Amino acid sequence: MMRAARGAVAAMVLIAAPWIVAAIAPGQQRYILHVLIFTALYGALALSYDLVVGHVGSLSLAHPAFFGIGAYTAALLATEARWTLAFALLAGMAAAGLAALALGVPMFRLTEHSFAMGTLGFALVVQIVATNWVEFTRGPLCVTGIPKPQLGSFRIATLPAFYWMALAAVALVGLLYHGLTTFRLGRAFHAVRDNEVLAAAAAVSSLKYRMLAFVIGAAVAGGVGTLYVSYVGVLCPGELTVSLSVNLLVMIFLGGVGSLRGVLVGAAAFTALPEILRMAPTWRMVIYGLLLLVIVIRFPDGLEALFRRRAATGA
Amino acid sequence: MTKRFLGVTAVDGVDLHVEAGELVSLIGPNGSGKTTLFNCVTGYLAPDEGRVALRGREVTGVAAHRIARLGVGRTFQLVSVFPRLSALENLLTFLQEHQEESVLARLVRAPRVRRYEAVAVERARRLLDSVGLAARADTPAGRLSYGQRKLLAFAAALMPDPELLLLDEPAAAVSPTMINQMKEQIRALHRQGKTVLLVEHNMDVVMDISQRVIVLDHGQKIAEGPPEAIRRDPKVIEAYFGR
Repeated sequence: MMRAARGAVAAMVLIAAPWIVAAIAPGQQRYILHVLIFTALYGALALSYDLVVGHVGSLSLAHPAFFGIGAYTAALLATEARWTLAFALLAGMAAAGLAALALGVPMFRLTEHSFAMGTLGFALVVQIVATNWVEFTRGPLCVTGIPKPQLGSFRIATLPAFYWMALAAVALVGLLYHGLTTFRLGRAFHAVRDNEVLAAAAAVSSLKYRMLAFVIGAAVAGGVGTLYVSYVGVLCPGELTVSLSVNLLVMIFLGGVGSLRGVLVGAAAFTALPEILRMAPTWRMVIYGLLLLVIVIRFPDGLEALFRRRAATGA
Repeated sequence: MTKRFLGVTAVDGVDLHVEAGELVSLIGPNGSGKTTLFNCVTGYLAPDEGRVALRGREVTGVAAHRIARLGVGRTFQLVSVFPRLSALENLLTFLQEHQEESVLARLVRAPRVRRYEAVAVERARRLLDSVGLAARADTPAGRLSYGQRKLLAFAAALMPDPELLLLDEPAAAVSPTMINQMKEQIRALHRQGKTVLLVEHNMDVVMDISQRVIVLDHGQKIAEGPPEAIRRDPKVIEAYFGR
């Protein structure tokens, strides 16, 4: 009962955030909403990444590529072919999912470290193609003038509208994540992650469940890529850098691998913390780095482990 | 119904044949190829020569998870559980793929899937009870003692009610009381008409419960017959104790 009530309050606060922000910090509303939108999109992306890393235990570094494939597909369809966002979104998700399907067949024949290297190679290739295939992607000139999302006559153009769209996206991804990682599917994912040999004796096919997590994770990343470009309005090859994988890894390990709440908290901490630290501009990144270090040393299992311990001791 | 295994393995031309409902033991010194033979039969290794047949159906080179679906259960020599799943979830994992596979039905938790799950939970609780682990149902398997994990792995192999059960050293590193318990469990399976193939070093267990014993040495079958005959076979004595 308590939990449900707390959840309802949290949901209301999140939905009402644009007004709350306007009331508390009227001058800063645009900036704060912008940070919140990024936090929500990063949260959704980190959840999709954690499906692969946290639940089937495959260290994929190809996630920026799937994000980029979705983003480029949607951006080019929306600017060149004048597709509306809803269709461009579906196309972006499908393109990223299909790329993962094609990539997964050879990659899942590799063992752990080779898998990481192979997927890293794919991420690099996709970024190089995005930079150099100028006739198609416009390369470093970037895809510009990506239209705002439109659903019928309703146009998502204001910051609060974008915020609600991003909030809805992270909520949907969270629901999907929860559905996939609990009950029978979750059990099969975790069996594959914990003991592949025994999983086969239990009639659980490692390849099937690894592929499932990989393809769904990629499709969601492609969808987040679409929402991201429709918000930012510009898409450059630099968005696909391999360092995005590093950021995502920091988020999920900071928050707690394999945990819905942990990953979301990690994404929020990672996105919001550097912004909050702008109050001390010179030392910003130094303080940020130290904070990450302290968290990793003090809580190697992520912030989620800290919450659990708190809950267990009843504090 | 006959059940046939013609495993001419990478080991060295071993011809092994187990009838339905039989309780057969596979013995031999370390490195004689018992576990390799197991791995070929259960799809973990593909034999270089020869074939594996199950109820007259050829299954050579079929993937391990598919062979498991055909009603073949096995345990591992080194105790093997899913450490981060609870004891109950460990057992549930072993039955769910046999019940249904549809990803979408699982994602939306279709009523059919919920019914299967309820059946599985009930069966899992009964099995946990039968090996004395009912009180540990919600404990992560990684936190159980060695002996408890061994019992859990055994119960897990029974979860899908396999026709053929391959047990790799069920009595190794287990206390004497638990060995007796294990023996009773295997006998009970035999009475239910299950086919059991056992790899075991504990001769008391082997001689006590097997109908037939097959002896491997250096990858070759050196003897085969009822326990009493094997006990007196000079070739077997030589393989174990030297000349």
